Amino acid sequence: MAGFKEIVERLTDIVGREFIKTRPEEIRGYAVDEMIPEAVIFPGNTKEVSGVVKLASRENLAIVPRGSGTKMCLGNPPKRLDLVVCVSRMNHMIDVDTSNLTITVEAGVKFRDIQARLATQEDRCYLPLDDLTTVADEVICSDRSHSGCFLPMDPSHANEATIGGIIAANSSGPRRLLYRLPRDSILGVRMVAPTGEILGSGGKTVKNVSGYDVSKLAVGSMGSLGILCEMTFKLLPLPEKMETLLISFGSFSDTSDFVEGLFETTLLPASVDVMNRRAYSHLRMDGIPDFGQGGYVSAIALEGFEPAVERIRNEISHMAKANGARSVAGIHEEKHPLFWLAISDLEQDLAGKAPGHIRARINYPISEWRGVIESAEIAFSGADLDYTIQTHAGSGICLANLLVDKEDSEGMDRAVITLNSLLGHCLRVGGNLVVERAPAGVKERLKVWGEAGSDFVVMKRVKDQIDPAGVMSPGRFIGGL
Amino acid sequence: MKKQELIDSLKEIVGKENVLSSDMDLALYSYDASLAKGMPDVVVMPASTGEVSKIMSLVHREKIPILGRGSGTNLTGGSIPARGGIVVHFSRMNHILEIDIPNRTVTVEPGVITLDLQTEVLKKGFVYQPDPASQKVSTIGGNVSENSGGPHCLKYGVTSNHVQGLELVLNDGTVIRTGGKSWDNPGYDIKGLFVGCEGTLGLVTKAVLKLERAPEAVKTMLAIYETIEDGANTVSAIIAEGIVPATLEMMDNRVMRAVEETIKVGYPLDAAAVLIIELDGMPEGMAENAEKIMEICKENNVREVRLAKDEAERAILWAGRKGAFGAVGQVRPSYLCCDGTVPRTKLPEVLAKVIEIGERYDLPIGNVFHAGDGNLHPLIMFDERDPDEKERVLKAGTEILKACADAGGTISGEHGVGLEKLRETSFVFCENDLEFERRIKKAFDPDDIINPGKMIPEPVCVQ
Repeated sequence: MAGFKEIVERLTDIVGREFIKTRPEEIRGYAVDEMIPEAVIFPGNTKEVSGVVKLASRENLAIVPRGSGTKMCLGNPPKRLDLVVCVSRMNHMIDVDTSNLTITVEAGVKFRDIQARLATQEDRCYLPLDDLTTVADEVICSDRSHSGCFLPMDPSHANEATIGGIIAANSSGPRRLLYRLPRDSILGVRMVAPTGEILGSGGKTVKNVSGYDVSKLAVGSMGSLGILCEMTFKLLPLPEKMETLLISFGSFSDTSDFVEGLFETTLLPASVDVMNRRAYSHLRMDGIPDFGQGGYVSAIALEGFEPAVERIRNEISHMAKANGARSVAGIHEEKHPLFWLAISDLEQDLAGKAPGHIRARINYPISEWRGVIESAEIAFSGADLDYTIQTHAGSGICLANLLVDKEDSEGMDRAVITLNSLLGHCLRVGGNLVVERAPAGVKERLKVWGEAGSDFVVMKRVKDQIDPAGVMSPGRFIGGL
Repeated sequence: MKKQELIDSLKEIVGKENVLSSDMDLALYSYDASLAKGMPDVVVMPASTGEVSKIMSLVHREKIPILGRGSGTNLTGGSIPARGGIVVHFSRMNHILEIDIPNRTVTVEPGVITLDLQTEVLKKGFVYQPDPASQKVSTIGGNVSENSGGPHCLKYGVTSNHVQGLELVLNDGTVIRTGGKSWDNPGYDIKGLFVGCEGTLGLVTKAVLKLERAPEAVKTMLAIYETIEDGANTVSAIIAEGIVPATLEMMDNRVMRAVEETIKVGYPLDAAAVLIIELDGMPEGMAENAEKIMEICKENNVREVRLAKDEAERAILWAGRKGAFGAVGQVRPSYLCCDGTVPRTKLPEVLAKVIEIGERYDLPIGNVFHAGDGNLHPLIMFDERDPDEKERVLKAGTEILKACADAGGTISGEHGVGLEKLRETSFVFCENDLEFERRIKKAFDPDDIINPGKMIPEPVCVQ
């Protein structure tokens, strides 16, 4: 093995001197769970990534890929770390083909820039349109379509996250109820394998049974099978009408009766979120109603053709009132995307407020949603924890933020015990509990990825075949993969 | 292991009436809906996951090739044994195990016929969306292995988008579950890798599938065109208008004629092409969208648009489309279906190329396809007994796939690579891509005994 200095020289040959950082004060911010890399490198394209990974693989250097850094809190602390490969310079939209309803982008493109690029000529956009960072020299296959389209995904930290990070972390949000998961939108991928080869799978067609569906394997693989460099997605036409209903209830039983009733109907809302008042009050957005103290808020996104949206709004408002809703408010026009952006930013906002913040993501079969919230609330309040809770009803996710002070070791202990016992409950109902954020020291006392299932045996076999030397994100993924 | 020993061991596992080994029986399992042929050594019909696991342990020990089979409707040789060995026929594992409405899932065994499942869940007001044209006979196990498509894929996605969980028997007999009733499961998306693996990674013994509420309203239209280009341009224009119909299916004159000779549905025989357009969902806004679509059709020189007035009229329109392959089979003894897929905006140019190739090789080619998602199905009609004609057919098929790949598309949208398109993989993959796939295959099947010889070509040896 060459000395690190020599390796840095060779890396510099690949990417250029200004795109590698090695000075401690420059790279401290790129630590992964407090582990500081030897160098941070910013390749400019897929070929450079390949060069970097080839070299790293020969020298047995451990790599963790990174985009904007919004998902770096995920996973176990790495077993070792030499290089952080940051794809932020790879921010080109390679093929924007709105007539075909597909888009191909580099991994470092920000999610919001994709949405902005797909907006209508009148700037109707799926996300609030402001300060774009889209690069100008993109190759454009077809003009901005008149009717506009969007990438039907709803990741957390939607304003900052890069598409590569969203796919690697399988990030989804409330509107997955209507638009499903990242795995359902991705059509193709080009990545750099742990040994440095560039490989591709899938393409610009919705149907494609030519070879294994490597794109699916890439979604949620957390950088453990290679570095995602380019991805192709299918798009949808921008909904004709978008608005939000906010409904406040005094009790959880009223809320859940309402939600259950809603799922008995044939109505198709884009999301049905339920959150406690604490979560609602932390939303960083002006001009949303103050529903007073206590109780629960249901936030429902309506996206579709105008007459359909009107009918859903009317029927839901009726049902809400019949189920004892305290009030029903509408969020319209440009405030609709702002509201859902605030929802997607909630976790990061809280992490900024409480440095010891722990975030849990519970998944479960959708019929278990009430039981999961109730058990979680009993557990958190029983342990005297300050918490927010939010659930994507109808699509099987419950998110909890525990606002613990980093120095409060007793509070940390209670949080750890509570989460470990809640994991048991989730497993019993056919779900799991993933800890998405926790201080590095606390992670060691938690099962960060929940409990692996019987398919772990093949996950391990896949990892061993693809990355036999264990250089890609070593140890960060489930079961220490 | 001697063949007789193998047969005896299998009889011990599944009972002697569920092992087939006579020449006549084996011949019945030596072909599928493609042109490929291959003789198995023995056919076995297990009744449970436990039995499948025992069979797999046996072949693991003895290194005998094995492959799963449903109704044998595969169009690329995926369901015939390329290297002999055992065919596991899932005809007895054909039960719908649980319809779970609160969780919007149905759990089935692999031998369940797709349409049977759809009929059952519709009674409760729910649908399983993927609708391959062969749904009357194809099995869920086959649909999962081939990632089957169908007309509905335009709006609802392919089979992979509707598989939530699988129970699998691995190469060594281990039974695992991947995914399930919960949408999210930490770890690699093993089920995602398995769907569309063409049966090369293991055997599926259970599938948890996603159910959706049946749409409140459906509107079906038949648009009639004087040229194929007008029809193809309509397809792109509808999508550009912001409307994603449930289906956009196209049929050319040659196929309409074949359909009219067998199933009379009243297609206009003097037209160049028809487009079946179907909208579904909430009724609100549907009439407006249908109006918009009619406008677009007119802008693209449509001769006439017929609107199905009721369910009976709708069924007739669809009977022609679903029966098209069969009807074409009546015109000439054999056909080769090329499953090339292109970005939908490339349809007009690729269709023109297909017609040109047909003329050049002097072969009749019928077109019936999923226009909305760019999935072509040129049917090259011929007589398999004429070796010269067959030779030309294979060459023409390869050229069509090359044209699709060159237009930014791929060589298979829903039928798979199987045996027939191994060579054509080079149109879309480089050696790195294939090497990555070989590693995935090796992770699941290090002995190369699970449906061997399919989907991934042997590495090119550089001497």
